[in-house]
Amino acid sequence: MEKEILEEGLNHNRRKFLSRLSLGVGSLALGSLLVPDLFSGKSEAEEAMMNALPHFAPKAKRVIYLFQNGAPSQLESFDYKPLLNKRMGEELPESIRGTQRLTGMTAGQSSFPLVGSNYKFDQYGESRAWISEVFPHTAGIVDDICIVKSMHTDAINHDPALTFFQTGAQVGNRPSMGSWLSYGLGSENSNLPAFSVLLSRGRGNGQGVYSKLWSNGFLDATHQGVQFSNSEDPVLYLKDPESMSRPERRKMIDQIAAMNELSMKQFNDPEITAKVKQYEMAYRMQTAVPEMTDVSKEPESIIKLYGPDCLVPGTYAANCLLARKLSESGVRFVQLYHQGWDQHGNLPNEMRLQAEDVDQASAALITDLKQRGLLDETLVIWGGEFGRTNYCQGKILVDNYGRDHHPRAFSIWMAGGGVKSGMVYGETDEFGYNITENPVHVHDFQATVLHLMGIDHERMTYKHLGRRYRLTDVSGKVVKDLIA
Amino acid sequence: MLKISSIRSFLESTLFFWVGLTLIITLAGDSLVLPDWLQVIGRSHPILLHFPIVLLLMGLLFFWIPGIDKKSEIREIGEISFLAGCNFAGITVLAGLILAQEEYAGEILTWHKWGGLVVFAGCILLYFFRSLNPNFIRLCSVALALAIIATGHWGAGLTHGEDFLLAPIQSDNMEIIPLAEAEIFDDVVQPILQAKCISCHKEGKIKGELRMDYLEGLQKGGKSGPFVVAGDFEKSLLTQRINLPEDDKKHMPPKNKAQLTDEELLILNEWVASGASFDQKLVTLPAKNELYQLASVKFEGNKIYSFKSADAEAIAKLNTSFRSVQALFPESPALDVSYFGISAFQPNSLADLQTIKNQIVRFSMDKMPLAGIDLSFLRDFAHLEELHLNFADLDSDQLKVISGLDKLEILSLSGNPLNEASLENLAKMNSLKKLYLWQTGLSQQDQMRIINALPTTEIEFGFDGKGIIYELNSPVITQKTSIYQDSLELKVTHPIKTAEIRYTLDGTEPDSISSPVFTAPIFVKNTGKLIAKAYAKDWIGSKTTEAIFIHSGISPSGFSLLSEPNSKYRASGAATLFDLQKAEASNHGQKWLGFQDAPMELEVSFDGESNPKEISLSLLYNEAAHIFPPAKVVIQGLENGKWKVLASQTPTVTAKPLPARSELLNLELESTGYEKLKVTLTPLPHLPKWHPNAGSKGWAFVDEVIFNE
Repeated sequence: MEKEILEEGLNHNRRKFLSRLSLGVGSLALGSLLVPDLFSGKSEAEEAMMNALPHFAPKAKRVIYLFQNGAPSQLESFDYKPLLNKRMGEELPESIRGTQRLTGMTAGQSSFPLVGSNYKFDQYGESRAWISEVFPHTAGIVDDICIVKSMHTDAINHDPALTFFQTGAQVGNRPSMGSWLSYGLGSENSNLPAFSVLLSRGRGNGQGVYSKLWSNGFLDATHQGVQFSNSEDPVLYLKDPESMSRPERRKMIDQIAAMNELSMKQFNDPEITAKVKQYEMAYRMQTAVPEMTDVSKEPESIIKLYGPDCLVPGTYAANCLLARKLSESGVRFVQLYHQGWDQHGNLPNEMRLQAEDVDQASAALITDLKQRGLLDETLVIWGGEFGRTNYCQGKILVDNYGRDHHPRAFSIWMAGGGVKSGMVYGETDEFGYNITENPVHVHDFQATVLHLMGIDHERMTYKHLGRRYRLTDVSGKVVKDLIA
Repeated sequence: MLKISSIRSFLESTLFFWVGLTLIITLAGDSLVLPDWLQVIGRSHPILLHFPIVLLLMGLLFFWIPGIDKKSEIREIGEISFLAGCNFAGITVLAGLILAQEEYAGEILTWHKWGGLVVFAGCILLYFFRSLNPNFIRLCSVALALAIIATGHWGAGLTHGEDFLLAPIQSDNMEIIPLAEAEIFDDVVQPILQAKCISCHKEGKIKGELRMDYLEGLQKGGKSGPFVVAGDFEKSLLTQRINLPEDDKKHMPPKNKAQLTDEELLILNEWVASGASFDQKLVTLPAKNELYQLASVKFEGNKIYSFKSADAEAIAKLNTSFRSVQALFPESPALDVSYFGISAFQPNSLADLQTIKNQIVRFSMDKMPLAGIDLSFLRDFAHLEELHLNFADLDSDQLKVISGLDKLEILSLSGNPLNEASLENLAKMNSLKKLYLWQTGLSQQDQMRIINALPTTEIEFGFDGKGIIYELNSPVITQKTSIYQDSLELKVTHPIKTAEIRYTLDGTEPDSISSPVFTAPIFVKNTGKLIAKAYAKDWIGSKTTEAIFIHSGISPSGFSLLSEPNSKYRASGAATLFDLQKAEASNHGQKWLGFQDAPMELEVSFDGESNPKEISLSLLYNEAAHIFPPAKVVIQGLENGKWKVLASQTPTVTAKPLPARSELLNLELESTGYEKLKVTLTPLPHLPKWHPNAGSKGWAFVDEVIFNE
């Protein structure tokens, strides 16, 4: 009897427990409805965010970024400092240098002699901007561009500084600016990759570029930058194998698609659909890319405009011309890198050569976009990863000197795409060492670029490893002064 | 033990006490003067009110239990809770009436106050008449429950603001305002006040005697001073309070309420700083103004279109691999249509656009082969503002349609030849803001005509390059290898097809008159240098380009390096010098032997049949990297156990840094037939004065040593 009572009690308890448990499970299920990304990979919030892009009417639809890799000296280009010529050879005052850290290359130097520009400067355009003699073509378009003399960055060496400019973080593994825009805005022209990369090398001391700079990071692989090379195959692995005809290729892709369709039915993995799309895009690129790289139809005036080097594949000029063609065909982000701007020594000679290679074509790109009515919707950016010191690295000579890395103040220029034209923004002190007016941090610059593309940099995020990431990391402010 | 019946009678009697007090306070109205301690009771109203709501609603439920008449015990529980509820209703009403004397006023307060009184009166009546017809009682219970809910809702409205309850599900009918029309106060400042301040400073709850829900209230200010004083942070109540630290009692919004974001704080501060105007347009502020910059982000660019959006499904269908159809931004009905892919273009696809003809605002057909296609469909695009038709093979007949597009603001016709008729059409389009006419074959006169006809239009004729003479780029020399066995084919090309290439093989600079013109590949059989230069009409002759070619001649039967190259640059040792692989000038790290501290001493021997007469050294020069022409090169021959100098050369030190390059140093021997030859290459001992590191040791780099008969 006692046993029965006990069992009855236990049964009762178990029953009660289970029934209450079921209620608990039910409430859990109900609660989970309020946490939409509990079980799915991508959150609904993220999806909603994507659908709301761009956040407002964009001023620029496309970007062409002319990256001057190696850090061109601002003191020989856009930041005119006659004081440095006057006080040539004098020691950089302690009060100006402050606590600035130096690179290992000059930290051991016993003296920091000021060195003025070897090039002459003059004022141009309605904006009366100072530009050095080695950039005569840029001087010619000065009223179409906005020179920012007050850029500053966190990094002091090439790799982290370049990575910082491109991805918003100094360590690799984050998506590049082009990848973010590809992710946020997609491609205008589905026959071409939304993010294209072009490389060239100048005649000055160079620093490497590496594919992590155009990496998609944690974003989908479709947002990776596609590199166009100057070889016979502008895009690698795109050509049909020898003796394969177009219809055969079509048939093959259709067959693969059909098979993929079958596994899609079986596994329902969205990656399969993505794969099918990539095959299709590659097939379309096979006709679209030759259209891009063919310069034979360009009028004579274009060759004069960009300089005859634009017909030599792999040169900066040719890449500028190709960039215009890609951009004109709806490629969202064209990223150029031109190496050779790292003038630790022999600056007056090397920088002249570097400028010779890029000046005409950079200016030509602006003029060309303008005459096609595309400049208003295309943002062009020209600049390096940091600036160069106002003191000499190594021995100072009348006509030869070098400059070390300087992250505290440097110049870039932007044009088109809703940026104010004919403006010089920001100011540095007489020594060209510190910013005295309107500093623009790299994250501010990135926020501004995104803003011009119609994106609120704080709202375009991607959740990865439990954290939401954005191009501007945790800072950045849109520089409204730059926006027309 | 306390009996249930005595509790009941006690509660019934207290009820009358509350009724009496309530009557007095209600009737006294504004003439009431309250001691401070009573305020504490008043302020407990938000806590107390929960008791009557729960107890009354619970008591009301009991009336609905079937057969409740027969279950006296259950009935009793219901009645006691209801009675307790009535008591609490009384206390709550009293507290509420006291609280209402504080900073509350307005319509909602009236509703809430009288609602509370009705509930109190209703529940008392219902309690005492509870034994009437059950159906009637049930009806009354529903009415009372509704009154309780309504009163509670009004009360919540007082604390949290109107629409608090339903706000999350009410659609935000956010009107998009264009920048040009945005008002500083109405569209920038007021929305912030609405979101963060008004719930406590409004009709019905005027904290600090400040009403922020209407303009006069703001202008009047509050108990502690004026709401804003233009430009004065200290005197303006607004900036005074919002800038206090959050822990400060006077900080606004109060702790635990939604705080201002940094941006909102900035906007409010800037608004006061820039004059605290109530009726100024945002665009009247100077562009440098911080407030303008902060606020204009919200409005800029969002041009408003009054037409309806096209069907989303239709838009999705129109998006193909050769055509993109996109809204200007997600909520905008305006569409931007672009065609891509020349080879994929199908003229009949243009007809599909009829479904979105009212929404197309921007249309781009740059580079599409439109020759012969009727463009009259463009007239159907009622809201077309921007049209791009660059390089689209258009003729004047096709372009006639353009003059009818009277909403057009931007037109781009670059690359289409225009004639008289098209010009006349264009001259009538005074709605145009921008017009692009590059490469349209217009004469200077035509250009002036169109400029005069459209004085307000920005017209771009682009760059024609006429009269500008640039230097040609250098031709490109292609050769399979630099060092060859029998003969070598050399080709020279230039990217500009019309350019003429002149060349020499004797080391002199080619000129445009006497040097041979390159027409077909050249075959060489010796060691030397090809120098080429390009010329073309309207261009300045190019810089020279050169290429070394080396006849490999005879290979030594034995060789050895008597001095070690620098450990950083030793490549594969002596073998590198005879591998017949010319290293690239850019890569001095791996393929070149570098000497700095000691000269290179190389001994070579030949079998009896070969008689080397010519020696070529392939050297690298890169002054910036301290790599210079050697100070001296000496060739010695071993004859009867004695070394004899056969040839020597002292190259000139370069006078300025040049780009990294490879040069050939040739030496000729006067006599042959030696057992062994020795090559001594002495690096420059001191860098020249012009060099940044003047005085330090120079480098000599070598990658090939070639012997020829």
